[in-house]
Amino acid sequence: MEPLIDVNRSAMECTSHFSTAPIWQDILAQAMTGELLAAMNYASLSEICDDPAEVADALEHAQGERGHAASFAAEACKIGVDVTNNVDAKHWKRLRDAFLRCIAERDFIACLIVQEIMLESFAVASYARVGRVAPGTLGQTFARIAAEEEDHVDHAMSILRAERDRNPQRFDDKVHRLHLDVMTTLAKMLAKECKDGHCEVCHASCVKPSLFDVSLSAAELRGASLQQYLKTLDMLGIPGEVTLAWVTQLPV
Amino acid sequence: MGDSAAGVVSRTRTNEIDFALIGHQESWRAAADIIAVLRGPERTPLPDDEIKDILPWIPPRVVCYVDVGSIAGAKARGLYIDSFIPPDRLEAAYVHENIARVRKAAACAIKAGAKVVSLGGFSSILIEGNFDQLPERCDTAFTTGNTLTVAFIVQGIKKMCELEGRNLQRSTLLIVGGTGDVGIGCARCLAPLVSRVLLSARNVERLRKLAAELQADGVEVEIATDLQRFSAEADVVICAASLASSSLLLGRIARDAIVCDAGYPKNLSPTVQMPGAKIFFGGLGQITGGMKFAPDFHGALNRHPFPDVVHGCLLEGMALALERRFEPFSQGRGFITPEHVVEMETIAARHGIYLAPLYNAGGPLEDGPLEAGVHAHTEWSRA
Repeated sequence: MEPLIDVNRSAMECTSHFSTAPIWQDILAQAMTGELLAAMNYASLSEICDDPAEVADALEHAQGERGHAASFAAEACKIGVDVTNNVDAKHWKRLRDAFLRCIAERDFIACLIVQEIMLESFAVASYARVGRVAPGTLGQTFARIAAEEEDHVDHAMSILRAERDRNPQRFDDKVHRLHLDVMTTLAKMLAKECKDGHCEVCHASCVKPSLFDVSLSAAELRGASLQQYLKTLDMLGIPGEVTLAWVTQLPV
Repeated sequence: MGDSAAGVVSRTRTNEIDFALIGHQESWRAAADIIAVLRGPERTPLPDDEIKDILPWIPPRVVCYVDVGSIAGAKARGLYIDSFIPPDRLEAAYVHENIARVRKAAACAIKAGAKVVSLGGFSSILIEGNFDQLPERCDTAFTTGNTLTVAFIVQGIKKMCELEGRNLQRSTLLIVGGTGDVGIGCARCLAPLVSRVLLSARNVERLRKLAAELQADGVEVEIATDLQRFSAEADVVICAASLASSSLLLGRIARDAIVCDAGYPKNLSPTVQMPGAKIFFGGLGQITGGMKFAPDFHGALNRHPFPDVVHGCLLEGMALALERRFEPFSQGRGFITPEHVVEMETIAARHGIYLAPLYNAGGPLEDGPLEAGVHAHTEWSRA
């Protein structure tokens, strides 16, 4: 697996001029961690692909995600904050472990479902919301990356739709099994309050209560993410009444 | 005319979707009940603040299947599609957002292959003058369901007068929301039966047009945009539009007036301000041939004290499906005539769909088998 790029910069190199910089710092830390995790996931995926084209595709995606992380690091520098990513933070590690289980089973489709349908849905929706309110190039970067992530999803959709067409029941069962594993963790991450203690990514106390100061809220990010997830499942063709029950059964 | 009921009986059941009902919840309590059913009994119900945070983000979608039966033996399978309009956004300020939700719900119905779709509650109000705002419809027919709603309002008024020993012919009828589709239909049906009609609405031009139509038939009509401007007290009232407050009626209706709350959401209740008024919820029907939800949303989707009670607008879609008349029976505004109403109530009655027993927020107003597990003065009065 390729090494992660060094996206952690020293705060000495940067000068903070935003009063809300500590909030953006935590938002960027979560985003960078997610991008690096995605890069790791795609690199892992490349190892189970048989088709050389798929291998190249996965590695290209991994590179793209590292590029996103680097873009976020650059934005952090611009606003003068030191952003520390932590792919071993408890929730992110659980998500990585879930993905690695799919890798261990050499289940390419399950990998796509976890990364493209679940994790990317949350990235697309939350980056888009952040992109609307973040100032200057910070907002532009989030909006650009949200759009690029959406392209990923589109790419995976055709593969997944074809897979579902072969056996809808088996496919839906697989999505549900992965949903219970991955989405439960994501729902806890996006809960209005972190009930399980510190997330190990925010640099000090939990950022969620401060999100109102930058015209965001944890409830909004969660709502937008769940909406994007439901819409993506709709595009796959999974019945709406089924996915509605799945989502309403998630922890809050 | 379509197939007769007898012809319908012999049809083979298929998995085809005959009808779809598009609706939304009119209170957070009702929304919470839906979410609770979806979560299942093994999970703790979501706190109210979480429901208020999550529900507005849910895209319109199918919630459950609805199987209905006819007393003539016909069966029809349908879907309930919730547009998930948040109960606190049923106001004009959200009209564009809500129309977008109804459009998406309509797209769900089309995608499911529903042959006829009823637009329930606010959905029909939003679309009744703008059917072109619905998506490309293919073979799916859309109906507002307003004709059967009018039928049940009119039947309810007549029944209430009978129960109270009133003579409708000597009555002064006030219709609030008189220029909406339901208001116009009620005016056309009841104007010939009363001594005088008072029409209230916000649009003066539409009021004048309807008044002229009724006057041409010899009806005494008065119009006003402000209830306080009428020269006479009404003793029979139809609120075809929700009133901001029942106190708006004070001083303009007789102390013991019969008041039909046909607005959406229904928000009139017997109050200390109108202790003598006989208020009932109008426009509701009961399907006696059976109705089942899968998953079981019984009591959550139809929150009424009597079993199998449904808004007339939704029942119209079921009646048309049981009759195998997949057509846009009610569309647009101002096309409901007494003849249409008779035709629709005949179709409905053929399949065992009748006026529901009368009730209001305080409880049943007549005898009837109460819905199992529903306590009239606690559970459903919160709706």
